[in-house]
Amino acid sequence: MVAADLVVRDLVFGLLLGCVFSVVAHGLNIIWGIVKVINIAHGEFIMLGAYGAYFLNLFAGLTPLEAAPVDAAIGLLVGYAFYYTFLHRELRDKETITLQSEMVTLAATFGLSLFVSNLAIILFTGNPVGINYNPGTLQFGYLHVPLAALYVAILSVLIITGTWLFLERTFIGSAIRAYAQDVTATELVGANPAKVASLATALGFAVTMAGGALLTVWIPVGINPLMGALYAPISFVIVVLGGPGKMWGSLVGGLTLGVVIDVVQAFTTVEIAYAAAFLILIPVLVFRPEGLLKR
Amino acid sequence: MIEKPGLTLYGLFIVMALLAAAALLLGVAVSSILVLLLVYAALAYSINFITGMIGYVDFGHVLFMAIGSYALATLVSHYEANPLLGVGLGALLGLVFALGIGLVILRFRGVYFAITTVVLVLAAYNIVLQFPQLGAGGEIIVNLTFQPLATYFTIWTIVLIEIVLTYYVNRSRIGFGIRAIKNEEDAASSVGVSPRTLKLTGYMLGGLFGGAAGAVYAWSISGVTAGPAFDFTFSLLMLAMIIIGGVGTSIGPLLGAVVVYIPSYFLLTTVAQAQPLIIGLLVIIMALFLPDGIVGLLRRSNEHLRLVLE
Repeated sequence: MVAADLVVRDLVFGLLLGCVFSVVAHGLNIIWGIVKVINIAHGEFIMLGAYGAYFLNLFAGLTPLEAAPVDAAIGLLVGYAFYYTFLHRELRDKETITLQSEMVTLAATFGLSLFVSNLAIILFTGNPVGINYNPGTLQFGYLHVPLAALYVAILSVLIITGTWLFLERTFIGSAIRAYAQDVTATELVGANPAKVASLATALGFAVTMAGGALLTVWIPVGINPLMGALYAPISFVIVVLGGPGKMWGSLVGGLTLGVVIDVVQAFTTVEIAYAAAFLILIPVLVFRPEGLLKR
Repeated sequence: MIEKPGLTLYGLFIVMALLAAAALLLGVAVSSILVLLLVYAALAYSINFITGMIGYVDFGHVLFMAIGSYALATLVSHYEANPLLGVGLGALLGLVFALGIGLVILRFRGVYFAITTVVLVLAAYNIVLQFPQLGAGGEIIVNLTFQPLATYFTIWTIVLIEIVLTYYVNRSRIGFGIRAIKNEEDAASSVGVSPRTLKLTGYMLGGLFGGAAGAVYAWSISGVTAGPAFDFTFSLLMLAMIIIGGVGTSIGPLLGAVVVYIPSYFLLTTVAQAQPLIIGLLVIIMALFLPDGIVGLLRRSNEHLRLVLE
């Protein structure tokens, strides 16, 4: 009975952790799936989102949940700037991204990640900081669930649902989906591919930075300039698990990873749990390169 | 297909001769400064066999460096072996791991390969923490008498072998095959090039020399610790070196190593983060505006250089 309790507890915490992982990876998924570019500096923008929440808390007293929309607004601007400095030159007038352009964007965003993380060390120092946010716990029998984690999980699912609705149910959303399928066709029906792609990139950055803000709830003393080096690979694994471009894929990948980490950790150590979470990527790429979701 | 060696190779030989002379004539102080430059160069040439030649971006090359470091540190500290034996073991283990890993992950193309290499380093780091024999995350100290010249000439020899190998691979049939893969893998296989074998060859060369360089690095800093050994900064600097120098060329890795090394030497005492910061900025500029690096820039600027630089 006790063992069963523990398994249930690990599952619940794994799912809650998975939700925040999902939203953290979701921005990468949007950009990867639609613009077909992998932002190697993804983790650094999660980090900036987390610091955004930290400073908003420090100077304006905002909770991480309130900081998320502010971060998202900043993310929109950063996303547009990123598109026009890093991607526009490589993507314009091209039907599909060439291998050459893919390498250029990989290398350039890799340089960006090196630049941003080290600038952050200089600006914020290497000492980790955190936000004190504790709205209490919710009790289900033997389960004590921190409300903060629950709120974050709900908000994460809402964000992912929101982007799905935006892409599936709005006119601009259908233009973005059209771009993901066929750039030339988007042009033929009168949409400007650069505008569509930059909007998708901005949306991805908004979600990424908001995700960084929500993540701070899980790392009460862990906001630091190098945190991107952990959350970027986690995001990569999640997007591959779910399949790039599938909005629900982020959730499937995130929940899978969250549960794997929490359950493996319960039986072994936290290091083995993370090693297992990273290594899932390899069998998935070998046996189901299109991701876990069928469509 | 092999022609007479060109000016590039002779130029590189002259540089290497100067590096050897500098250590012999100017003494211990100079060689202990230059040893890091040579480690950088060795790492740059080793990742050049993978990213430069096949065109697969390898973010996780530090894995092989760490394997080499641990091989030397374990052998020397637990079994009191000769450090040269440690370098040999580092190279061998680098090769063996590259074979095993390469067989699986070279099937993934483009970004999927790149991401897998990142993930492997993190997984390996978390696994090493489990083993008390590997220090369980703590430091393994390599307790040797100070022998700067031995370290120096070991890494010097490794770099020299890499230079010659890079030069001839680039000019040989294998080189043409590898470049064919880089340009269009499916087309290459349809005209009789076997991408699997060639990619694996490049990857194993990268592992071999990465392991050897890592071993010498552990030797030069007298130990290995899990955190710094798997630090992505090193991995990223290696990639930065070849992007800055000129991906796939014979002279680019050395040029890139010098460019990356100079700020580390002059700025380390003031702001430790200044080096990766500057290198990051340089990589962005290079990737966006000069995708073939310094070598490409020089080639375009001068007709004569275009013919000579390789």
